[in-house]
Order: sequence, then structure tokens, then C-alpha cells
Amino acid sequence: MKKRIGFLVNPVAGMGGRVGLKGTDGVVDRAKKLGAHSIAPAKAEEMLHFFNEIHKTDENIQWVTCQGIMGEQALNHAHQKHIATVYKPKDSTTADDTKKACQELMKQGIDLIVFCGGDGTARDIFEIVKNSVPLLGIPSGVKMHSAVFGITSRATAKMLHEFLQGTLTVGDADIMDLDEDLYRKGEWNIRLFGIAQGIIEPTYVQVGKTTFESVSEQGIKDELAEHIEDEMNDHPDMLFLLGSGGTIEYIAQKIGVEHTLLGIDAVFQKKTIQKDVNEQAILSLLKKYQKVKLILSPIGAQGFILGRGNLQLSPEIISAIGIDNIIIVSTPGKLAATPYLRVDTGDEQLDKTFADKGFFLVVVGYRFSKVQKVQTNNF
Amino acid sequence: MIMTRSPTSFLKEEYQELVKNAFDWKLRELETGSKPHSIVDGKEVMMLCSNNYLNLSNHPKLIQGAIDAAKKYGAGSGSVRAIAGTMDIHMEVERRLAKFKGTESSLVYQTGFAANSGLIPQLVGKEDVIISDELNHGSIIDGVRLTKASRAVYKHCDMGDLENVLADADKKYRRILIITDGVFSMDGDIAPMDEVLNLAQEVGAMTYVDDAHGEGVIGPDGRGIGAHFGIEGQIDIEMGTFSKAYGVVGGLVAGSQDLVNFAFNKSRTWLLSGSHPPAVAGAQLAAINVLETEPEHVKRLWDNTKYFKKELNAMGFDTGNSQTPITPVIVGESSVAKELSNHLFTEGVFALPIVFPMVARDKARIRTMMNAGLTKEDLDFALEKFERLGKQLEIV
Repeated sequence: MKKRIGFLVNPVAGMGGRVGLKGTDGVVDRAKKLGAHSIAPAKAEEMLHFFNEIHKTDENIQWVTCQGIMGEQALNHAHQKHIATVYKPKDSTTADDTKKACQELMKQGIDLIVFCGGDGTARDIFEIVKNSVPLLGIPSGVKMHSAVFGITSRATAKMLHEFLQGTLTVGDADIMDLDEDLYRKGEWNIRLFGIAQGIIEPTYVQVGKTTFESVSEQGIKDELAEHIEDEMNDHPDMLFLLGSGGTIEYIAQKIGVEHTLLGIDAVFQKKTIQKDVNEQAILSLLKKYQKVKLILSPIGAQGFILGRGNLQLSPEIISAIGIDNIIIVSTPGKLAATPYLRVDTGDEQLDKTFADKGFFLVVVGYRFSKVQKVQTNNF
Repeated sequence: MIMTRSPTSFLKEEYQELVKNAFDWKLRELETGSKPHSIVDGKEVMMLCSNNYLNLSNHPKLIQGAIDAAKKYGAGSGSVRAIAGTMDIHMEVERRLAKFKGTESSLVYQTGFAANSGLIPQLVGKEDVIISDELNHGSIIDGVRLTKASRAVYKHCDMGDLENVLADADKKYRRILIITDGVFSMDGDIAPMDEVLNLAQEVGAMTYVDDAHGEGVIGPDGRGIGAHFGIEGQIDIEMGTFSKAYGVVGGLVAGSQDLVNFAFNKSRTWLLSGSHPPAVAGAQLAAINVLETEPEHVKRLWDNTKYFKKELNAMGFDTGNSQTPITPVIVGESSVAKELSNHLFTEGVFALPIVFPMVARDKARIRTMMNAGLTKEDLDFALEKFERLGKQLEIV
């Protein structure tokens, strides 16, 4: 049965990087003046050539794309046969074209969107598509912190191949980008913007000596929710601070507590007592509650547990909570994609505490944990 | 309300789903015994995938041992061990086994599966933790699923990881049980049991090794992993099987008398299944005798292993981290492994492909199991085919 694959190239993605800009959104002209060339179309073609080598056929694919440089051209150069175009961009493309193209793609009933760009492109696509269709990014942007990208164009080709074979599956993928508010204040921070669907390694459980059963992402998250709920039931005198991300969001929903997808919430006796708390609010809570546990999940393509988008958890707060009171939860698929848990608290001494511990036992199922090593920037 | 439930339609539906995804097991029928050369599905093939490592299934002493015991004691044991099914021959096996392995005592279960699923749930409960090598889920899944213990996993044979997990577990749990395969069945590598034991002793953790592929294979005279590392009797639970190198059937657990007393009183699989037919016990006893008096079988198994691996590597094949007669021939993509296996079978060599998800996606392999019953001519026969087909399929 044919899979309908959306294909979208952002011709301006990545142009900012070579010339030292922090992204290309809104600054294409400046980039061009600084001598930047369009790189994404070539990257897209490169991926498709690798894909041809690996997949060897295109009989089972119906490509749905945009005319010209936003997709059709690359597909033609890669000798793909079944191409349908649904959008015609202007000569000089902008984020608006990406979004309009996505709106057209969405009307076509597609199974996957393959795009060529960076975090900016991913965000634009996500704005329209949300988590209704999985995304797979050919890495060609200035910033690529989102968890939808293959590591290289060849790796992306392989992922597309495996997806078509049915040996990879679909699951949560964090969309990350620069926090513009902070940037305007002079601070550089990458934060979570939302949870899309990406292509992930499925989780297999051995049910016998040589038999495997695949467990759905939801099945695992149900187990994680059960595990956290047990913790809450076993410790009625404990304050739980729930971190951000899709996994913790699911857990909160399952347990029945209110949660902010992109923020930190305070939960006591299975009720949310304060939503989306900032640093001051957390410090007040820490004065009031003797026992605290902080529940975090790896965010983005690099598996950051601290330092990306949760600046409310300042070094003072982390030190007050204590490294032993941090519970990390993750689906095995997420852990497989991020071999280290990354920490960047902003405080060198505190980072060293994490580096010295060296590992966390990450909860990956009901009362089931796995060792994952920790990496900090400087240690 | 009219119920429209079909009682058994799921049987066909789920089976067909497996067939559709090629996850179904396809049984091959042997018309002969499990010999180095057998007739499988009507075709004569050389067996490179049997667990009958020492070819003891066909040893005249084992066959005679089975016959003599059947003549003396009958076709069946008549009962479960706990009631009236413990014959003196069953007890003799356990005594001789303990002596052979250098432990205080031993207990025989119906199968290795029964040993794991019967004993593990009795060792740990809700306040405890089972720590296992990430690759050996198979050895504990059966038992662990029946427990309420927490579970933690460390990277394959990574002693640094294990140390970290133990440090963490030490603070949280009542009992700690470390379980690992002795010989890992996909790669043929050996767990660093001596190091595991050291780390375990630091925090008072129990050590459990599933040595199914090590019994009769590693250690002097094939006495197993305890003997292999010179730590006989120190591993708390040495679990193994008679179903592989010993050439018969049955699970075994070796350790202290305290362990055995606890195990046979508490393992439901032991208490509630009929004991082995006397012929089985007779063959098990004969197998122990053979291992004690005929070292040539284990020696030939290892000579064959070294030769086969050396020749494969010289041809350019990747045999991974194999340290035992389990010799994976890593070929890459699943489809290539399946193709090679099919070609080999057509040409008279029977070796199974192991593909994703049993192993990593790009590390599909033909898993060959060496055998003491193979001659050098046999090995050369197989090697020629590996070389030619390997070149044909562009593996080497």
C-alpha cells in the first residue's frame, strides 16, 4: 500500500549560520548581503540520493510537495516518479509559504511530512500541523535542537526507509527553538515550544526467551503514570514539582492533575496547588514543604534535563531540592535517541555535582529503571 | 441484550497477524535424532544451530543410561517430586551434580524455564529490586513478571554501570538480586562473573546466573561458569540446564543447602509438576559420568570453535565478541541474514538467522553453534559455503 509523504524544502534555512546570524527567520536579506547561499535544496537532494541507495524503489511512495525549489525540484533530480504538487510559492520564500504549504498538505491526507530546514522551519510546520502528522527533518538549519531531525542526511534517509518498512514507529518529538523574549533581553536560551510527532525507535519487550512484543508509547507512558502515582500515594506529605514536556504532561493527565506543558507545576496530595511557577514561587514553596521531589524528563534532541527552557529551576532551587530528590522519567524510545542526560544549570559547581554523580536511574516503566549517564558542558 | 462475542475467533486472527508480519514460528521437522548430520524437512543437512554442543544426545552411554533406568523404574515417575515422585535416581543426579559443579547442593527442575519462573518469584518481593544486564531479559522475564519487585537494568556487561545501580539500590531496597546470563546467547560472550560477585559482596546483593549456555561448555570439563572463574560455590544461585550440552532435558539450580531447602519448598513449578521420567534421570546421570571421565568431548568442542572462528575471521567475516562456541556471523541487514540462511540450507548447512528486534537493526547475523560431533571435514564443508555465499551476497 502506498504511503503518502509530504515533502517540503525551506530554501532559506541555514543561510544565517555561515554568516554568523542566530537563525535565518526575518533576516534573509541580511544573510544574503553577508554572502550566504541557499543550502537546503542541496541537502534535500543529498538525502534523497541516499534514500534511493537504501530503499531501492519508489513504487510504494506518493510524494505530495510544492512546486519548484520548495520540493518538486529536489524530487525530480532524485528521479522520484510519483509526485503531486499542491502549492506554488513566490520566488522569494518566507515562513508564510511554509505555513500555507502545510495547510495544503494537510488537506491531502498524508502519512508523514519530510522537511528540509532547522528549528525555525520545524516550528512553522508545527504551528499548522501540531501533532496530527509525524515530522521528519533533514538537518539543514542554523539551530536543530528539536527532536525531529535525523543526525545527518544519510541518517534521515535511513529513518525514512525504516518508517516505510514499518520497523520504526511514531512518538513524541519535542519542538525546540530560541526563546525570543529572553533573546531580546540579551539571553540565549532554547526552550520547548510544543510536542510534535516524530519517528522513533519502538520499544520491544521480551516476552519469552526469543519472542518480542512491541509496546506502544502510550503503554509505556501509562506505566510511567502508574509509577508516579504510586510515589504520590506512598508519600502524602511530599511536594511534587512536575517539569515540562510531553511525557510528564501525559502522566499528569493520567493521574488527573492540572499541568502546564511548557512550565513547572506544584502538586501536593495529587492536586495541583500552583500552576506554571516561577523561581520566586518555587522558593516560597520550598520554605513551606520539607519533603520535595522534582520530576523531570529529557527534552529535545540532546536530552537536556536541566538548562533548556526550565530556567525557573535556578541553581539555588536545584541545590535546595537536592540531586537525590530528582526523579527522571522517560520512554525507552526517548532514551535510545539521547544517549546522555545533559545538564547545564548555569552554575559550574552545581554542574560538577551532576558530573560527579555521573548517572541517573531513569524510570522507563512501572518500577523499572535504566542507568543513563549524565553529561555536563564543562565536565 | 444479545451478546455477539465469538469465543475463539481471536485465535485465528492473532495467528494470521503474526504470519502477515513474518513473526510466526515455522517449525522444521527432524526425521533423525539431533545429530551433527540430520534430516530436516526431508533434507540432509549439517546442524550448525543445535544446542547439543557435545553431541551427548547420541552418546551410547546416555542412551544406555536411559534404557536401563526405564527398565528398572518404568516409563514415568508417577507423581510430583513432593509427594511420591522422588526416586533415588533423581536424588543421585542432584548429589552427583553438586559434586561435579563444586557446590554444596543442587536441585533439578523439569526445565530451565521452570527453574527461573519457579525460583525467581520466591526470592524477591515488593520491597526488593532485581538488577539485570540489559541483554539478558530472556533469562529473567519469565520469573520477574511474576514478582512485585522493582527492576533496574545496566548496560551490557558494564561493571561501572552495575556499580552505580548497586550504590543506588543499597539505599532504597530490602533485598537486591543481580541476575545475568553466564554466556549470552546472541553474541556468545561471557559475563564477568568474578567482577559481578565482587560488586555484589560490597552491598550484600544476591547473585543469580543463568548459565544455560555455559553448562558443559565453559569451565574445566564443562563444569560451568563458577568453575570457569574459580569461584565455585560463591555464586548464590548457579542456574543451568540439562537441555543443551548435557544432551537431555531439565533445569538445574546449584548452590548452598539453604538455597536448595528454600527452593524445593517454595518453587511452585517444582512442587506442582510431575517429576522427570526415570529415563531422563538415567541419561542425566550418564551425562555427568561422561563429562567426568571423557574430557575429549569438551576439548573437541573448543578445538572446533577455535578453528571455525579463525577461518571465518580470515575470510573477512565479523564474529563479534564471541568467546564461546556460539559464533555469530554478523552480516548486517535482516534481509541479507535471511537470504544467507536460506542459501545455506539449500546447500545442506542448517544455521538460523537472528534479526531485529532480537539484535540491533544492522547487526543481523547467522548464529552458528559449534559442536563436538563435527569433524574438520564438516567444518571445511561449511566454511566453503560461507566464503562463496558471503562473496556472492557481498558480505565479504
